Amino acid sequence: MPSPDRRRFLSSAVLGGSAVAGATALGSLAPETAFAAPRIDLDPGARDPNFAEGRITAISGSLLKVSGSDKALHRIYVTHGTSVWKLRPTTFDEIKVGDGLYARGVKMPDGALAADAVWVNIVNMDASITAIDSGRLHLDHHGGKVVGHVVNGTTAAVYNHTPAISDLSGLQVGKHVKVIGAWRPDTNEVDIATVYAGI
Amino acid sequence: MLEWPASVQPLFVGGTLLWSGGLKVLGRSARRAAERSALPSLVGEDRALAAYRLTGALELALAAVLLLPPAYVAETAAAAVLGAGFLGYLTYAKVVAPDSSCGCLSKRRTPVTWRAFARAGLVAAAALLGTQADVWWGGGPPLTAVLLVAEVAALVALSPEVDGLWLLPLRRLRIRMRHPLADRSFEMPLESSLQQLLASPAYQQVSPLLRSGLRETWDEEDARILCYTAEYDGTAATAVFAVPLRHYSPEEVRVALVDESTESTLLVNA
Repeated sequence: MPSPDRRRFLSSAVLGGSAVAGATALGSLAPETAFAAPRIDLDPGARDPNFAEGRITAISGSLLKVSGSDKALHRIYVTHGTSVWKLRPTTFDEIKVGDGLYARGVKMPDGALAADAVWVNIVNMDASITAIDSGRLHLDHHGGKVVGHVVNGTTAAVYNHTPAISDLSGLQVGKHVKVIGAWRPDTNEVDIATVYAGI
Repeated sequence: MLEWPASVQPLFVGGTLLWSGGLKVLGRSARRAAERSALPSLVGEDRALAAYRLTGALELALAAVLLLPPAYVAETAAAAVLGAGFLGYLTYAKVVAPDSSCGCLSKRRTPVTWRAFARAGLVAAAALLGTQADVWWGGGPPLTAVLLVAEVAALVALSPEVDGLWLLPLRRLRIRMRHPLADRSFEMPLESSLQQLLASPAYQQVSPLLRSGLRETWDEEDARILCYTAEYDGTAATAVFAVPLRHYSPEEVRVALVDESTESTLLVNA
């Protein structure tokens, strides 16, 4: 299905329209169905087989070759059902060699991971703001300098656990913040997705 | 010619050494500061704290003879040697242990940067100038006080440890007058829709079926559409959520489970 038609179909399915005929109402979704997903029991301390992390060393077709920080090598398949996060929800072609990733999915018999979700270059860091200029936060992260880029249309701020807004004028120099963002590989720069701050 | 500016240098260098030596000897977090510095790789883990304290004691002793009369050339000469030695130590730290803290004038962790070099250079140069003094600093003309203030200002400007006392308040003031990030367009950020989604009964009912993270999102008139991959009755499906775009009411969030391969809707909340 071409993309605009597909989106129209999905929108009308949820917002109401002809496509809903024949569907089960959510009320009948029994807990047994909802929780029927197979549970995986792990020994404490065992490596989670359904998780992988590392730097991407090669991309061939829909296969990512990843070198883990513990030197483990992973092969990760990305399908059309895989979610890809790189600063925002995005598509497979945004993934580049050299990116870091976290992937969650299902281990296949051949040892590769069929990914359900992939987070590319995601960072979560505590820092304090040392300076603000137009489009950038200068951050001190445990003594190291990090430049946080504000991305129009994406960067959001959460003040005191209230709903996220795009207004960043509550950020103050000297204050502590938590930043979720996408690292620019091999630099000390991140693009900011969300910054959590107190006012 | 050099006598009057030289005469005040023992006071400046002595004061600086009093600050840094006192911190090394009496500071409560001296152990941590020593561990973070480049000393462990220079003298070994076990001797780092002892070396750190010894340096501090040396600095204090030198500070005492510099600040008290009479003035001997040997005192400032020793301070100049110490300053040169410290420049050497910084170079070592930068080359061998670039992640270490300089461990100089505060318990705060401060990486070695050009400011650390400039500051050490300032102290060494002041000490060198001080060797030209022939009288104790107590008897200098009033102009020496101006020079002293300028030197202290330069020392403070080059000390990242005290940025919190002057630089950050200055930046805070500038931002209070005009915030550089104030003129951004108003848009409902995705994060806000996600917060609303996670709080919604619809999401809580369906979440055990979800397999992926957020796959794609777009805006319809009053709703933001969010798609996830789900598994329902053993088949792959797409969970489509509609979250109110312009107001916060999680109970209004709607969901449909759709089989995209057959273009059929499996489940909706009505």
